[in-house]
Amino acid sequence: MTDDISGLLKRLAVQDRAALGLLYSSAAPKLMGLLTRMLGDRAEAEDALQEVMIRLWQRAATYDPQKGSGMGWICAIARNHALDRLRARPAARGHRVVSGGEGDMDVLDLVADPAMGVEDQTMLRARMQAVVACFEELPADRARAVRGAYLMGLSYHDLAAQFDVPLNTMRTWLRRSLISLRECLDR
Amino acid sequence: MTMPPEDDDDLLAAEYVLGLLESDAWRAADQRAATDGRFAARVRDWEARLEPLNDEFAELPAPDLLPQIESRLFPAPAPRRRRGWRWLGAGSLVGALALGLVVLSPVLRAPPAPVLTAELVAEDRALVLAASFDGTSLNLRADGPEAGAGQDYELWVIGADGVPSSLGLLRDGALTREAALQAGQVLAVSLEPAGGSTTGLPTGPVLATAELRAG
Repeated sequence: MTDDISGLLKRLAVQDRAALGLLYSSAAPKLMGLLTRMLGDRAEAEDALQEVMIRLWQRAATYDPQKGSGMGWICAIARNHALDRLRARPAARGHRVVSGGEGDMDVLDLVADPAMGVEDQTMLRARMQAVVACFEELPADRARAVRGAYLMGLSYHDLAAQFDVPLNTMRTWLRRSLISLRECLDR
Repeated sequence: MTMPPEDDDDLLAAEYVLGLLESDAWRAADQRAATDGRFAARVRDWEARLEPLNDEFAELPAPDLLPQIESRLFPAPAPRRRRGWRWLGAGSLVGALALGLVVLSPVLRAPPAPVLTAELVAEDRALVLAASFDGTSLNLRADGPEAGAGQDYELWVIGADGVPSSLGLLRDGALTREAALQAGQVLAVSLEPAGGSTTGLPTGPVLATAELRAG
């Protein structure tokens, strides 16, 4: 899948410094939103944003457009970096909780990514619909837990505390949910 | 719930991508994603499955951090400092010679130092470099594609101060040179324009890093 971001990543891979500025302009707001939501702290998100941009420059050569959109690849690197930071935090900082979006999956109403071609927008929309439909097949609280993990980096521990169930119960719930999701999404 | 081990691995990839794992388990999976190609492929599949959820991250205004990012990626070569280096270079050469006389003589008598090794594995195992250092000479063998037209792989050792210094270019998938290295030092390989970095520091993507260990 190609988008403007994947074109910029190709230029990064050959050390094109001008492309770094263009990538920053087009991707920084999205990355800032992602990192702020996951880290829950704006100052840390700004710090993380710098790290993510440096990783993108260093790893751009390993991006393969055959395996996914440029924006998806960038978000995966940013999420990975945010998780790295969250998992390095001392446990004393306490459990975090799922906030917002009481299970309603209105992703389809969100503004489409302007950096994306029409064809890819259609394709991503179709995939989004599939994800929405698959999440709807899950019990509502489990769908909420999976989204909480993805969007906020909540761990089994955080989720067990929040849903007030034993850790093993949460693990079993979510593993079952993941199996159903995989089956549904690969259909 | 019992599952075939294959499926267990796939669920581990999902738990890693979602971030459900606690610190130690997460870090172990992170390490595995960097070194185990099959596991990395499962991780990619889950990232692709869940990618549409990224739309739920609302955009936020970001301050202009580009100057900081650029100055970290491309430290400006300072001409004055360079002149200083040349002086330092001459001085340290004399120093190194003197030190060599002092250090070498016991080395000649001492039992051979343990061989240090490091395996540098790029993402997806597309490039794997096996390094070994026998106390005087560093040997590197690459398994993977050539750097490509107009590019070279450059090897670096990262000093205790965190500053990389070049160990040279990989040509025909190999590099052999005299060096003074120690266990615990980190080797890194970067992709550079043909002929190597001209700034004295990596300018291209760092493809892999690994620590030198006895063994």
